[in-house]
Amino acid sequence: MSFDRDARTALADGQLRGALRHATTLFGERRRAAIAEVPDWEDARDRARAIKDETLLHLDRYLEQFVANAEGAGARVHWARDAAQACDIIAGIAERRGARTVVKSKSMASEEIRLNAALAARGIAAVETDLGEYIVQLAGEEPSHIVVPAIHKTKGQIAALFAAKLGMEPSDDVTRLAAAARQALRRRFAEADLGVSGVNFAVAETGTILILENEGNARLTTSLPRTHVALMGIEKVIPRFADLEVFLRLLPRSGTGQALTAYQSLLTGTKRQPVDEGPEELHIVLLDNGRSRMLASPVTRQTLACIRCGACLNACPVYRQIGGHAYGSVYPGPIGAVLTPQLLGMGESAELPYASSLCGACRDVCPVKIDIPAVLLHLRAQTVARRASIGTRALLERLAFSAYATVMARPRLFEWVMGCARRLHIVPPLGAWTKWRDLRPLAPRSFREEWRAGLRETEGS
Amino acid sequence: MRDSDAARRDILRAIRENLKPRGIAPRSAEPVQSTADPGPAARGSPPGLRPGSVGPVERASPDAVARFKAQLAAVGAQCTLACGEPDAARALARILTDAGARRVVGSDAPMVQRLLSTLGHDFVRESLDRLSRDDLFACDAGVTTAQWGIAETGTLVLESARERSRLLSLVPPIHVAVLSTRCICESLGDALDRVRQAASHAITFITGPSRTSDIELTLVVGVHGPQTVHVLLLEDV
Amino acid sequence: MRVSLFVTCLADQLWPAAAVGAVRVLRRMGCDVQFDERQTCCGQPAFNTGYRPEACALARRLIEIFESSGSDAIVSPSGSCTAMLHHYEQLFEDAGWRARARGLAERTHELSSFLVNRLGVEDVGARFAGRLTWHDACHGLRDLKIKDEPRRLLRHVRGAELVELPPPGAETCCGFGGTFSVKYPEISVAILDEKVDAIDRAGVDAVVSGDASCLMQIGGRLSRRGSAVRALHLAEVLAATT
Repeated sequence: MSFDRDARTALADGQLRGALRHATTLFGERRRAAIAEVPDWEDARDRARAIKDETLLHLDRYLEQFVANAEGAGARVHWARDAAQACDIIAGIAERRGARTVVKSKSMASEEIRLNAALAARGIAAVETDLGEYIVQLAGEEPSHIVVPAIHKTKGQIAALFAAKLGMEPSDDVTRLAAAARQALRRRFAEADLGVSGVNFAVAETGTILILENEGNARLTTSLPRTHVALMGIEKVIPRFADLEVFLRLLPRSGTGQALTAYQSLLTGTKRQPVDEGPEELHIVLLDNGRSRMLASPVTRQTLACIRCGACLNACPVYRQIGGHAYGSVYPGPIGAVLTPQLLGMGESAELPYASSLCGACRDVCPVKIDIPAVLLHLRAQTVARRASIGTRALLERLAFSAYATVMARPRLFEWVMGCARRLHIVPPLGAWTKWRDLRPLAPRSFREEWRAGLRETEGS
Repeated sequence: MRDSDAARRDILRAIRENLKPRGIAPRSAEPVQSTADPGPAARGSPPGLRPGSVGPVERASPDAVARFKAQLAAVGAQCTLACGEPDAARALARILTDAGARRVVGSDAPMVQRLLSTLGHDFVRESLDRLSRDDLFACDAGVTTAQWGIAETGTLVLESARERSRLLSLVPPIHVAVLSTRCICESLGDALDRVRQAASHAITFITGPSRTSDIELTLVVGVHGPQTVHVLLLEDV
Repeated sequence: MRVSLFVTCLADQLWPAAAVGAVRVLRRMGCDVQFDERQTCCGQPAFNTGYRPEACALARRLIEIFESSGSDAIVSPSGSCTAMLHHYEQLFEDAGWRARARGLAERTHELSSFLVNRLGVEDVGARFAGRLTWHDACHGLRDLKIKDEPRRLLRHVRGAELVELPPPGAETCCGFGGTFSVKYPEISVAILDEKVDAIDRAGVDAVVSGDASCLMQIGGRLSRRGSAVRALHLAEVLAATT
């Protein structure tokens, strides 16, 4: 992963930056309008966070309760320690069920574990059915936003893509493009043997999984094929059926500015009678992949409260400039900057916690009040303490802060060093600053020199 | 299966290990009743409610019906009011004609079957039982009832235990939902209290037609789900 | 009222006008202002970059210095440094130090918050001719909830016309973020340019803020882009009488 390099590539892409500016601004406005309609918005955030905190503190019990109820209703539940095991489980289910064609609705967890590649390696082709995911899949790219995966593509680019891959007449008409995708995917839905979905919430009390969407592809994915596989991170469980209300109040408004998405599917086990509509088998795969580790400290535990709404991306001044790809993982933006290092380990993604100005806009908009800056700071402290960053830059930084600590503990030394720097017009750190910004002419005297020179005495205003 | 059992054991152990307090006051082992959930009474529903124990409201307030209709419009769904079944039958024919639907398939709800039986020869009535998957995809319209409407959001609630409406409300590009005004409840929370969660393997909340903004944030209505949602709102005579 | 000035290393060395202005305004409001020369840095750069032990050592030092000041309040011309002091409690495991940190935080105020909320004044007798726009520095805005106070103070400045950047303009980060501005300068400047574009469009004479770090960032770019718009600290404007 090279955040630095990828960020610079993104910054050089004018079209991308325009698209990001447009999207994040629009989502920000829609979110503000949507939450203005909810008079007890702050109270709802507090309630939701309290539910998440309660759940995470007793995650083992709630998971066991969920599993018992889901299995009681006919679902089969599988546990996966990590990505490899999850892929193996799902591929195994597909093989046992004789699935040749697999349709997928939006699941970030499935991208986290790189499911499609794992299935392909076993000769099973999975097609994404969410329009944005379908587009990036056709393009061979990664999604760049949690809610609108293809935000980085213009309709012209999509038209060219569809012309090449679907044989469609090139057209800039967004309705025609969507219709072409619909038509191409309808056959897949009709023929699919197995559907893979994500899970937005899993209710412990009833064994229900809830899936939110706007397009209808998740409903098709989870109702037409004979087998449904639902993949969920272990943190998706919530205690009670009634708890769904507060999350449904918060998520759509935060993510897209809608009061509700077009569809919510509440699925509990399998059909009660053969004549019922729906899959014969429901398999729920519970994924750890580093999540249980995050429970260890209250600061990191809150990362698991995330409901994947995407609001933080839209509020983040950094994401707005560079988009999702620069974050180098399926989870971009502020939540990605704290989640990815904790899932993958700091070695791989040591840069991410530093890719923030700590402005706190994300914390303001998070529906479950995750204090992302606090987690960033925690990860930064961990990086330093474990010497997780390697290389010359890191070494120089350590030396610099040693020097800083020494100087700041001694006021006379501090004054002398700063005095030299001021007289020599060197203020660290330099080049990185002066390449784009002027350093203002330094005042002839520092404040403390002014103080000693007479400011100390009380004077008139 | 054995691998999964081992993973279960490992994951639960990892969770418990990581949650162990480190030199901090021990927490109670029992999951606590969340203070965050004020319960159905505080949410404005009548006291003594258990999920799924509530039948239709006595009479939905005119205000709720009006709000429901306004929200339907706001989310891009159509609405036609009918008084009694004969009126509803006429309305259904009009709705389907106006929408250009010819091949129509109805759910197993007795009301739907009765209404469809009144349709003339302009329409081809398909039977869900005898419909192949390809034929289902070739239908123009699916007609179902809805168990509940939610006034706050203009949402339809379909319960699989009550009716086979899952595919008919999804595959054909036009979905007509017959809903009694007596079944309009106030809010999402009310609906969650009312649905018979245990009996239904699939409960679907539908708010307007399917949509996407995935291409340049431009709204397109009608993607994988229906493009038209038409609520036939039935007032009892 | 006895006030001890928490000057901040940045204002002391690189933007002294902010601190000088703060002293003058506080005295005009009748405060007896002290300055303890032993103070250096609050430790924020270390803390923000992950060097907690170093930050902790500086925190202990600053707590001791201000405890010995015997003042009624500690006032600072910086939202981010004031916020840092308010976070000191989290740096310590020891209950004793946590209590001392808490005590210090309770007595420490950012300048505009001190004037409006503690002294109850909005008119400090300032005079400054020109069109001004305000930049909400992130820590002051989000950690200390300072939003109204500077605006109220600026509206009472004779001759000054306060122009708001179109929302959410005033609240957007300037891209400084401490070491972020030099670790990822391209991103920092990309964020900054949107801010500066908005300031340019507002047609103002100066952008005013409560944090010298933001002012260096914004002012440095305005100057590089050849803009005539000045970057001024709130205290400079409030101290002005001509």
